[in-house]
Amino acid sequence: MISGVAWVFGDDLNTDVIHPPEYFSLDPERVRQGLFAKYDSTMVSRLRKGDVLVAGRNFGCGSSRETSIRSLLLNGVGAVIAVDFARIFFRSATNNGLPCLTFADPADLARVPNGGRVSVLPDQGLLSTIDGRHIPLEPPGRFVRRIWAAGGLLGLLPAR
Amino acid sequence: MSGRTISDKIIDAHTVEGADEVHRLVRVDAVLGHDATIALLADEFDVRGLEIWDPDRVILTNDHFSPPSTVERADISNRFLRFARTRKITNLLVDRGICHQLLVEHPLCVPGALIVGADSHTVMGGGLGACATGMGSTDVLFTLATGTTWLRVPPTIRVVFEGTLPDDCSGRDIVLELLRRFGESGARYRSLELVDESTGRICQDDRFAIANMAVEIGAKFGVFRPDEVTVEYCRRRDGVTPAGLVESDMDAAYERTVRMDLTGLTPRVAKPWSPANVVALKDLERVELSVAFLGSCSSARLSDLAAAAEVLRGKRVHPDVRFVVIPASMPQFQEALRAGHIATLMDAGAIINHPSCGPCGGIDKGVLGADDVCVSTSNRNFRGRMGHWDSRTYLASARSVARAATLGYLGGEE
Ligand code: SF4
Repeated sequence: MISGVAWVFGDDLNTDVIHPPEYFSLDPERVRQGLFAKYDSTMVSRLRKGDVLVAGRNFGCGSSRETSIRSLLLNGVGAVIAVDFARIFFRSATNNGLPCLTFADPADLARVPNGGRVSVLPDQGLLSTIDGRHIPLEPPGRFVRRIWAAGGLLGLLPAR
Repeated sequence: MSGRTISDKIIDAHTVEGADEVHRLVRVDAVLGHDATIALLADEFDVRGLEIWDPDRVILTNDHFSPPSTVERADISNRFLRFARTRKITNLLVDRGICHQLLVEHPLCVPGALIVGADSHTVMGGGLGACATGMGSTDVLFTLATGTTWLRVPPTIRVVFEGTLPDDCSGRDIVLELLRRFGESGARYRSLELVDESTGRICQDDRFAIANMAVEIGAKFGVFRPDEVTVEYCRRRDGVTPAGLVESDMDAAYERTVRMDLTGLTPRVAKPWSPANVVALKDLERVELSVAFLGSCSSARLSDLAAAAEVLRGKRVHPDVRFVVIPASMPQFQEALRAGHIATLMDAGAIINHPSCGPCGGIDKGVLGADDVCVSTSNRNFRGRMGHWDSRTYLASARSVARAATLGYLGGEE
């Protein structure tokens, strides 16, 4: 189970905002510091392991730089729940074991309190709020579960 | 079974194995990568002791840091070069221009090909009728090692261009209008099948501009139906006629069809901070500019440089504007030099940088400061993309950018 604080965002949140290009680096510490650096410079210091990003449509659109995913993982983000995802972001997150799930009913986005505590059961497809609201998510497909089970896409590389 | 679209057929022809109803393992014809995203996967590739499945089918180019402007980027660039050289990549193109332009200048990018690239604008290969798409470094590592990737078969939206493209418009105006209509996610996970039924035929450079920004509409592919324009381009490039043009079936199953009459189109502009925040240039209130940028994989080809030169001939860049021109590749640069366009631009006061990404991704020479207001031929005006969080970028065509560079402002013309 993933549990932490919910950080709620709107639609079309792009990767240049998630991780500004100037933080592109091979140095993990620099990559970690870049998360939402311009959007909210206090966010990195306030994020805790297991926190959950919650967003509207087309989360992660834009650049394919995987530093955005690395930065989310380095900052302990446990899952991203959105109405839907941009495809490159979804693939890269899944490949790196960061669960991305969508609401069964997009209207439920409004039921997740920004800053409230939530927990997510990725395999069951369930998000629960601390005040006992249970919000159904689309259960992950067979193919996505296979990548998760392999510990990420590279676990599916044919054995040499 | 109902008829197949172009992307259905290309995926079918490359399928190795179907995992379930929607997921396929496909083989790829080419892999594209650049300094930034290949450097991200190099250590992992080495540690795992992997080998490139076919070094002749990999195109690698340094374009984001070319030449590097900081010590850290020089180190990243060197990491990339070491990876490419030790792996004996046949098509390692060093300091030759932007990877997507170099892809479409390469014989591996042909109609019917399936191409994966470590950058979102790989989709531009669709300008030649290829199914080309961008992925992250982990996906591309997998493909470099196996020659395959997993795909979901996308539904297809057909876009038919009709009428006649007005002289003051280009592919950039067409795709900005598509963005206005579709929004940033209107073709999310879809294949856009682009059919040119216009009278004059959209020129190849303009097709690249349109396919390039299919990803801004969320699309996985932006694939032009190959026609005589495609064939002529490939013939000039490769010396042979491309084989096996893939076309859709008469009864192909489209999610929907959108028709766009080009006849009434006027120049478009995308306002900050979304490429879909599009209005007609004539409806834009006057914005004073400090920077004009003609560059990026979305433009800066020969026809764009020619259009800008035509606007600037005998004129001067406004004294308050820095006009930065970065040709998309060395071949485009050299052709523009031979044609005299570069001299015209320089005479007018433009500055020319080496073919590379430049300030497009906010990482290289020409980035914007807090107070800068920029008009650009690039593809993304997301907040902070080209530099400071408070800087503002408007997207337009090469012609509109050049015109604004002389005026010192964009919009608000009588
Ligand atoms: S020119 Fe811009 S959009 Fe194109 S590959 Fe370079 S950074 Fe990306």
